[in-house]
Amino acid sequence: MDIKERLGKTKYDVDKSFAHITVDDRICEKCPHHFCVMACPAQCYTMQDGKLSFQYEDCVECGTCSVACDQGSVKWQFPKAGKGVIYKYG
Amino acid sequence: MLKIAVMIKQVPDSQDISIDPVTKTLNRSMARNVVNPPDVNATEAAIELKSKYGGEITVITMGPPMADSALLELMGRGADNGVLVTDRVFAGADTWPTAFTLASVADYLGGFDVIFCGEETTDSSTGHVGPGIAEFLGYEQATYVHKTEYQDEHFIVERDIEGAEETIKIGKPAVITITLNANEPRNPTLKKKIAAYKKGVRLVTNKELQLDPACIGLKGSPTIVKDMKTVPDPVKNPSKPGIEELDKIVSVLIEKGVVK
Amino acid sequence: MPDYDAIVVGAGNAGSAAAITMANNGLSVLLVDRSDPPGAKNLSGGVLWGNDLAQILPKWQSEAPLERFIQDKKIGFLTDKSSIIIDFKTKIFEENKVGYTVLRSKFDPWLAKKAREAGATVIPGITVESLAKKDGKIIGVEESGDVITSNVVILAEGINPRLAIEAGLRGPLQDWEVSVGVKEIIKLSPQKIEDRFNLSSTSGLASEYIMGNLQELNVGAFFYTNKDSISLGIVAPMENLRENGITHTYDIIEQFKEHPSIAPLIDGGTVAEYGAHMIPEGGMEMVPKLYGDGYMIVGDAAGFGFSNGLVLQGMNYAFLSGILAGETAVNAKGRNDFTSEALALYRQKLEESYVLKDLKTFKDIRKVTNNKSMYTTYPKMLESILLEMLWERGQPKKKVRDILGSCAADLKMSKLKTATDFYYIYRRM
Repeated sequence: MDIKERLGKTKYDVDKSFAHITVDDRICEKCPHHFCVMACPAQCYTMQDGKLSFQYEDCVECGTCSVACDQGSVKWQFPKAGKGVIYKYG
Repeated sequence: MLKIAVMIKQVPDSQDISIDPVTKTLNRSMARNVVNPPDVNATEAAIELKSKYGGEITVITMGPPMADSALLELMGRGADNGVLVTDRVFAGADTWPTAFTLASVADYLGGFDVIFCGEETTDSSTGHVGPGIAEFLGYEQATYVHKTEYQDEHFIVERDIEGAEETIKIGKPAVITITLNANEPRNPTLKKKIAAYKKGVRLVTNKELQLDPACIGLKGSPTIVKDMKTVPDPVKNPSKPGIEELDKIVSVLIEKGVVK
Repeated sequence: MPDYDAIVVGAGNAGSAAAITMANNGLSVLLVDRSDPPGAKNLSGGVLWGNDLAQILPKWQSEAPLERFIQDKKIGFLTDKSSIIIDFKTKIFEENKVGYTVLRSKFDPWLAKKAREAGATVIPGITVESLAKKDGKIIGVEESGDVITSNVVILAEGINPRLAIEAGLRGPLQDWEVSVGVKEIIKLSPQKIEDRFNLSSTSGLASEYIMGNLQELNVGAFFYTNKDSISLGIVAPMENLRENGITHTYDIIEQFKEHPSIAPLIDGGTVAEYGAHMIPEGGMEMVPKLYGDGYMIVGDAAGFGFSNGLVLQGMNYAFLSGILAGETAVNAKGRNDFTSEALALYRQKLEESYVLKDLKTFKDIRKVTNNKSMYTTYPKMLESILLEMLWERGQPKKKVRDILGSCAADLKMSKLKTATDFYYIYRRM
């Protein structure tokens, strides 16, 4: 089952006005490993035409990327006001 | 100082509702209760009005005791008071007795300069209750509003109408129903939420209201649901137009000179 | 006068247990959680052992939203084509129902409700932005520019402790300190679950596997039965993922689901939810300073977890550390002293409990769980031994000793390496 399809089963209340994770493109450009792409369980980090692409909408807030990124690019905060992932089972 | 009310409803999150494929009924067992989304916009409209012109905001809902969390949530965003109208005799109400009961509560609380409502609820989508309250109270009304100003004892509102927008001026007191996404609701803050939980909500039952049992709840509801039908999901229905048809439509539109 | 005696950040097991303990003893408590309702952002491996919960909520077994009590516990190895499982089913579990599968989105709201009933002010749906400090002391929390003050702040933020890291109360998480857990909920009717796993309407199964079918990855997997669903997932150590990771974490769980021994177990089920969560793996070495002037750290935020590849525990440590921090706050209130010296009692209580005793006893466990042979060689070795012993192929039979020798040779393991590995596993487990 494709990861996008699986993520589609999970409920979100996406905060469109606040990205709780940001990455610094200039740092990512020079990153030697892009380990975030392997580690992120929600496929928020992908390589597109040799460049790192990031989206926070599918994030399940596990924090893995904050550990995986050892280049200082990922800035991680919790979403506000209960927005973001909402597990129905957990 | 404007005396402002917001009529709100706690609804099951529409994202959590599925249709049971066998019984064809709504399955809401896994649904989280949320504030009806346009009611959050209505509350934001009230908070914006208060911050510009001063006033006091009371959020009011009719529902079971657990609906207090919806009021506390909105008080956490900036409403001053919460009133929960709860009584077994109100249960089973359709839009008529609901509007009647809420209008009676507004009256019982001394009336308001303006009552905001969401344009409709996500769990029944009638849009009846706001206008109903206005009629029962004899207030002026404006529906499907996305912007409200207050000037010389009047409200100047921008309404969404089909294919256009209209600006009208209505007198006071008034009922104004607010569209979904009319504004960007502010988040609750910890300090305001703590204050809300400390203050709590005021409970109002029919002991205080003394409404005629024949006019409220299930007894006062003229609606009878005769039948329910489910329709197939159009996206998953292969007989509906797909990409090829879309191309055809686009070429016809180009042919007719509608698009270039 | 501070606004509260105690502010607890995070209404998970540790935070709510701390809040209940303090509120039961008359302290004014504010319990804040970033999710609404609490638990809606939480994910658990699955099995809750409730001995400690019983201290504060003696009727938890009848009141809490639990899924199934663990009657059948399986541990095993998976190879490409085989599974080697120890199936431990005992009447003792049935007579002492303390292990239950739970779904946190149902369980946590119940526990937070208990904190509210005990007298705590429970505020869901608010993310605390930072800790408020004065003269090097933690004096409360900050949100939207407001400071809410308390004598003590109990940090129960979970495995991704942003506040503690930001305030310098612990360093940023390192690879060796965490694993990535990826989990799915598979819907399956109670009837199917009970028939398929030979369970009653209340009993359940909890399985843990070592995945020996992945190249160069030290991944564990779990499989638990709920009332009408299965919780399954994988646990991949970050350090090992970085070193050897050639597979996306979201694909590893698919490989587990597609294993020939697992696929039939979820046949006919549908995926209802997908999620991920980090798991503390660093043991004693990752535990930060647990207290200071005006604060204590509990649960996952403190790194209280135990995992040896076959057993995965954390919720029990969360309850107990929360209770002990709560008791410490009650004591501090009695003496009106919330300084570091007074809160040192928390550490002392933990030392005397099984929380720190376990972490100390198993301080070298990572050398076992990080041992690649545990995941790559030994599962295959076991498989070869069992094939030799149990598969009649019309060939002369060998003694176990000779089978072991030839298997080790096939897998390029020296007898000495194998012997020392087993010695160390024996010593450390």
